[in-house]
Amino acid sequence: MAALGRRPWSHASVPAALVETHATYQHVFDIYVPIGLGVITLFALATLLAVVLYRRRPPEQAARFSSNDRLEGGYALLLVCTIAFLLYITFSAEHRVDTVSAREQPQLVVNVTAAKWEWHFEYPSYGIDRYSGAVGSEQLVLPANRAIRFRLTSADVIHALWIPALSYKHDAIPGSVQSFTLSFARPGTYSGECAEFCGLMHSNMLFTARVLAPSRFLAWAQAERGSTGARR
Amino acid sequence: MSAATSAPGGVRTLPGWLGAATSADHKRVGLNMAAASLVFFLAGGVMALLMRAQLAQPHTGFVSEGTYDELFTMHGSTMIYLFVTPMALALAVYLVPLQIGAAQVAWPRLLLGGFWTWLSGGVVMQLGWLTEEGAGRAGWFSYVPLANDLNTPGVGQDLWTIGVIMAALGLFLVAACVLATIATRRAPGMSVLRMPVFTWTELVSVLMVIGAFPVLIVAMSLLYAERLGAQVYTGFSGAIDYQDLFWFFGHPVVYVMFFPFLGAAAEVIAVNARKRWFGYPAFVASMLAFAALSMSVWAHHMFTTGGVTNQYFAFTSTALILPAGMEYLGMLGTLIGGAIVLRSSMLFALGFFVQFLIGGTSGIFVASPVLDYHAEDSYIVVGHFHYTLFAGSVFGFFAGVYHWFPKVTGARLRESLGKVHFVLLAVGTNLTFMPMFFLGDYGMSRRIAEYPTHPSWGPLNLLESIGAGIIALAVAVFLVNVGLSLRRREPAGDDPWGGHTLEWATSSPPPPGNFPAALPPIRSYAPLLDLREQKRSALAGGGGT
Repeated sequence: MAALGRRPWSHASVPAALVETHATYQHVFDIYVPIGLGVITLFALATLLAVVLYRRRPPEQAARFSSNDRLEGGYALLLVCTIAFLLYITFSAEHRVDTVSAREQPQLVVNVTAAKWEWHFEYPSYGIDRYSGAVGSEQLVLPANRAIRFRLTSADVIHALWIPALSYKHDAIPGSVQSFTLSFARPGTYSGECAEFCGLMHSNMLFTARVLAPSRFLAWAQAERGSTGARR
Repeated sequence: MSAATSAPGGVRTLPGWLGAATSADHKRVGLNMAAASLVFFLAGGVMALLMRAQLAQPHTGFVSEGTYDELFTMHGSTMIYLFVTPMALALAVYLVPLQIGAAQVAWPRLLLGGFWTWLSGGVVMQLGWLTEEGAGRAGWFSYVPLANDLNTPGVGQDLWTIGVIMAALGLFLVAACVLATIATRRAPGMSVLRMPVFTWTELVSVLMVIGAFPVLIVAMSLLYAERLGAQVYTGFSGAIDYQDLFWFFGHPVVYVMFFPFLGAAAEVIAVNARKRWFGYPAFVASMLAFAALSMSVWAHHMFTTGGVTNQYFAFTSTALILPAGMEYLGMLGTLIGGAIVLRSSMLFALGFFVQFLIGGTSGIFVASPVLDYHAEDSYIVVGHFHYTLFAGSVFGFFAGVYHWFPKVTGARLRESLGKVHFVLLAVGTNLTFMPMFFLGDYGMSRRIAEYPTHPSWGPLNLLESIGAGIIALAVAVFLVNVGLSLRRREPAGDDPWGGHTLEWATSSPPPPGNFPAALPPIRSYAPLLDLREQKRSALAGGGGT
C-alpha cells in the first residue's frame, strides 16, 4: 500500500499513523457520552426516589438539616476530579487533531475558497480547478489514506467547511488562509456542507467528496490535468 | 389599582391605562415587563411553529428561503432579547424588593425609563417585518461581514441593529435599578448572607448584565457604523473582534437567562419540600464562581474559527461542572428528608432540574473542542441550547408562575389544568428537542431552510414538528388557565403554600409600599420558615434551636 501512487504529491514516506479526526471524535465521544448519560440517569432516579420516599408526609416531619460540610466537600472534590479527567481526555485528543496533524507532511494540498454559494477546490500541484456549483455538481476528488492539507479561505462572508463523516469542520473567514489536515480511511462518497449561515442560499452550499484508492486518484489527477491543459 | 394615588417615592400615578403604563411602582413595572415579554414569547413561538412547518419535510416550500432566514433570526432575537432575558429581570423587578423587605426599588424613574427603552427597542426590531426587504435576517448574533450593508442590505437589518442596542440599553438600566435596590434597600437584619436564594440568583444576574451588556451596546453601535459605511470590522481580525465582543456579552447573557429561573425553581422546591434550601453557603459561592467563569468562557463559541486559544476556553467551560454540580446537590439535599407536595409549580421545578441536566451535560460535550469541531453550528448545538433555555429556563419560569401567581393576583391558578399543562409541555419539549442531537450528529447544519432527503432525516424532523405543535397546545392550556383563574377566582390568601421568604408576609397582591405591618424578624434566608419551626418546637415543648 505504501508504494501506491506516492509520487508526485510527496517525497516523504507515508507516516505510521494518520490522525483520523473521526476516530478521535469517537474516542472522546465514547468517554463523554456514557458519563453524561450516567449522570443524567443517576440524578433523575435520585430525584424520583426522593419524591416517592418523602411524599405525603405531614409538614412537622420535614427534617431541619440544611447543610453537610463533609458531604459537600467530598462531592466538590469528586466534581474537580471529573473536570480534570475530562480535560485530560480532551486536551490529549485536541493535541492530536490540531497539533500533531499540522506537523504531518501532507501528501496532497487542496486550496479551498468558499464563496456565496459554492466551493472552489484548487489542486496547486496538478493545476486542477473544480467548482462545486451551487448544488454540488462537481465533486471534490481525494485519495484515501493520505494526509491532505486543506488551505481554507473565503471570498466574501464567513462560511464553514464541514464533512460530517470526518467529524470535522473549520470556519472559512475572509482575510485569512487557515490550514488543517484531514484523511479518509476508506474510499467512498462523502457529503460536505457549509455549516456557518452565509445568506440566502446557505442550505444549498453543498459538495460531495469522492475518495478514491491512491492509485485511482493519481490516474484521475493526471487525466484531469491533461484535460485542463487541453482546455487551456 | 387605577386610582390617582401618590406612590411611595413621590412618583405620581395617573388614572386608567395611562397610569398603569407610567406608574413607577416596581410591581406595576415588573408586571408590565412580564406581560410584554410574554407577548414576545408568543410571537417568537409563532415564528418557531412556522419554521417547524417548513422543516416537517425535506422540501416543503412552505416559506421561501429568505423568509426562513428572517424567521430564525427573529425567533432567536425575540426569545433572547425580548423574552427570556427581560422576563428574568421582570421577575427581579417584581419580587426582589418583596424578598428583601423593601417598599420600592431604589431608582423607580430610571426603572420605568429602562422598561420603556427596552420595549421600544423590541418594537423597533419587529418593525423590520413591515419593510420592503423584511426583518433582520443575519441570525441573532449577526456575524460580520454577513451583517454589513453589502451582504445584508435593507432597513430591516438596520432596525434589528438599532432595536438590539435599545433593548440592551433598557435592560442595562433595569438591572442597575435592581442592583441599587439590593445594595441599599434591604430591610434591617437582611444581611447579604441572609438574602433568599432567588434574590442571590438575581443579584448575580444583574452583575453580569452590568458587566456584559455595555460590550453588546458597543459591538452593535460599531456594527451600525459599519452598515453606514465606516470600516470597522475589516478583514480576519475584524471578523474575530466582532465575535469576541459579541460573545463576551453572549455567554454571560446565557446565564442571565438561566440563574433567575434556577432561583425560582430552587424556591419552589424548598417551599414544596417544606425544608430550607440545602447548602446555602455553597450555593452562594457557586453562584459567584458561576458568574466569574461565565465571563471567561465566551470563545467556546469560536473553537472552529482558528482565532482563539481553544484549550483555555475548554478549561474554563468544563470547569462549570463544579458550580453547576453544587446546585444539583442542593436540590437533592433539599428533597431528602422533606415533606414533599407535588403541586404544578413543583412539577415544573423538578422538570427544570432534570431536563436542564440534559442541556448542561450536552454543554460539557460541546466544551470539548474535538467534539465541538463536529457539533458546532449543527443541530447538536440547537438541541443543546434549547434544552437549557426551553426545557430549562422556560420550565423554571412556569414553576415561578404557578408559585407566585397567587401573590401577584390574589388568585390561584387551577391545579388540574396546571398538571395538564406540565405533561403536555414535557412531552412536546422532549419530542421537539431530543431528535436534534441525532440529526446534528448525522450531519444536519442549523439555519437551513431545506435539507437533503437522507433516510431518517424526514421522520425525525416530522417528529420535531409534531412536538412543536404539542408545545403550542401546552401554552394554549396555560393561557386558558390564566384566563379562567382570573375570571373565576379561587382566593389565595397571603401565604397559600407555606412560603419561606418575606413576599409571603404581606397581602396578595401586596399594597403600595409592600409591607404595611412590621416585618417578621430576619435571622436566615428563610425567615418565615424560622417562625414556623419555632412555633412547632414550642408546641412540642422542646427548647428549639
